[in-house]
Amino acid sequence: MTLKPDSPKRQLGGESVIPALAIAFTLYFFSTIWNSPWTAQVSTFLIGGILLLVCAIFFVQAGLVLRSGQGNLGFGNLITREDISSGRVGLFATTVGYCILIDHLGFTLTTFLFLSSSMFILSRGRNAAFISLISAAMALAGWAVFIWAFDTRFPRGWFENMMKAVLSNG
Amino acid sequence: MGDTAAILLEVFLETISFWYIIVPTIFLGLVVGGIPGFSAANTIIILMPLTLAMSLQGGLIFMVALYCSARMGAGIPAILVNIPGTAGAAATPLDGYPMAKQGKGQQALSISFVASSLGGLLTTIIALAAMPILARVGFYMHSTEMIVVMLFGISLIASIAAQDMVKGLIAGFLGLMIGSIGTDVVYATPRGTFGFLELYDGVPLIPALVGLFAVSEAFIIIEKKVIVTHDGDVKAPSWNATLEGVQIALKRWWHIVWTSLIGLVIGVIPGAGASIASFVAYQQSRSFSKTPELYGTGHPEGLIAPESANNGVTSGTLVPLLVLGIPGGATAAIMLVVMQYHGVSFGPSLFDTQPKVGYGMFMAMAVSYILMIFTILPLSRYMSHVTTIPTIYLAPMIISFTLVGAFVPREYMFDLYLALAFGVLGYIARRTGYHVAAILIGVILGPLLEKYFLWSLKKSDGDIMVLFSSTLGNILWLCLLLSLVLPAIFAFQRKRKSLGVVAE
Repeated sequence: MTLKPDSPKRQLGGESVIPALAIAFTLYFFSTIWNSPWTAQVSTFLIGGILLLVCAIFFVQAGLVLRSGQGNLGFGNLITREDISSGRVGLFATTVGYCILIDHLGFTLTTFLFLSSSMFILSRGRNAAFISLISAAMALAGWAVFIWAFDTRFPRGWFENMMKAVLSNG
Repeated sequence: MGDTAAILLEVFLETISFWYIIVPTIFLGLVVGGIPGFSAANTIIILMPLTLAMSLQGGLIFMVALYCSARMGAGIPAILVNIPGTAGAAATPLDGYPMAKQGKGQQALSISFVASSLGGLLTTIIALAAMPILARVGFYMHSTEMIVVMLFGISLIASIAAQDMVKGLIAGFLGLMIGSIGTDVVYATPRGTFGFLELYDGVPLIPALVGLFAVSEAFIIIEKKVIVTHDGDVKAPSWNATLEGVQIALKRWWHIVWTSLIGLVIGVIPGAGASIASFVAYQQSRSFSKTPELYGTGHPEGLIAPESANNGVTSGTLVPLLVLGIPGGATAAIMLVVMQYHGVSFGPSLFDTQPKVGYGMFMAMAVSYILMIFTILPLSRYMSHVTTIPTIYLAPMIISFTLVGAFVPREYMFDLYLALAFGVLGYIARRTGYHVAAILIGVILGPLLEKYFLWSLKKSDGDIMVLFSSTLGNILWLCLLLSLVLPAIFAFQRKRKSLGVVAE
């Protein structure tokens, strides 16, 4: 528990996120089974009870660390300015966009857009031509293997429908 | 005895002659096993028309080879990019990925391939020899005994928690709570579902696996140029590294033997699977190791144990299928359908009426494992290049192909968002020192433990002492207790010994 004099202070704000989520989730879970039959309650009350106890121990420990000056309530281990400059925030935004768009545009086109935009963000705008080429190759390879060859149930959009029409007529 | 030997030899030679089916299937299995969401079972379903169009022998060989190679393939991304292809490989990255980060990806792959092949081959031979005895194991394993088997796996949380007890336990119990989401097994009361109908069946494993491992890992690896730890120290792959891996694995042959036997026994039990086997094998391997402190840092034994065990499961699954007609898992159930289509009847009489079918499935497995050693091992040199792909290209590829893999099993867009949510949870956990493997163990084993626990309580009218009511169960409880206590005693003795040496 004791830190070396030169080691950075523990960022307890960031470390507390998981226990805080765990407590909130456990209390919500208990609220959903309060009036349920015992079969729905028995194991979750047991597991949830232990989880609440362990989280309480964590917060007591965190309080002691704070009091001894070996930690602070910062979130530096979770969010930093570097997350923006390294492109992590941008990658997260494109990932959310991927989940939203894939249902409308289908696998191939969305994959191409996602790969090219995320690689472009991560490489800070360098190698645009190479990135476009590799993204197109990956998206088309994915379509060829998963949709054309194996007929898997990937989301389909106008590109997949067009190719299906072309291949069935050609 | 002589007749059986002659049949076995004949079936072996016939199976080898189907090499043109086995070799391409091995490569197909590696691909589908390596992508989360594409299990062997899914692929066999997709290719069912092809399987039914083949001869019975060809179809069976195809399915068995795919099953074995997909199991091995799931370990490849687990080692190279910390993404288990299936839940059965969830324990593989614990030591495989640290090896890859140290620039030993090729060596780790060789160790994994040798452990998987030898473990699979050995258990196939044992299953063939001891089939009548093994087939009865399923009869003795009731819900009370299964609770102890689950606890063997869940006790791995305690080992992970040993590094930081409070954080490890929070991660493990949070996983168990997440695993409890869904309706309860007796009265189907919805619990903790946030009102989503998609969660009534519980938390689907693939989105959890994809999010906790793949998505969160992709967001972490972009901090570095490539996956290996020292950016400037990327070693060129060489055949020596492959041979070193083979030597390391062969030196630990006894480890391969006993951990694959754990897989075989767990595989024989219907309903238990590779994920349980690999967690149990890893935990037991760590418990009885002379160097438990090395586990989790890239220790070969920590890689051998789950890989041998999850391949040991494959042969175990065939035993109840062939002898009793009870499929031990999803892939075995599909094999059952195909075999019934071809008019094969199951049960002990199968080996009298159609011995070539009965023995042929085991022989197909043995031949697949033998061919796998020669076809896959040389590939480790080329596969390990993945760790040298710049992360600016690798991370988006991981996200796109694994996220869509999360969609495939149930075809719900909801599962895509669920994988993303688990990705955020996994990212927060990794950045703040919580172990995602502990969360995943809870998510996988929690619902199974609860199911068996409730069945036991229902059967005994709520009497908790039912947990200690059977002889086999009590023996297993004793083994569990010993596996938890003995390592601590051994560690204490080693510490005393080393202190004694220093004092002298």
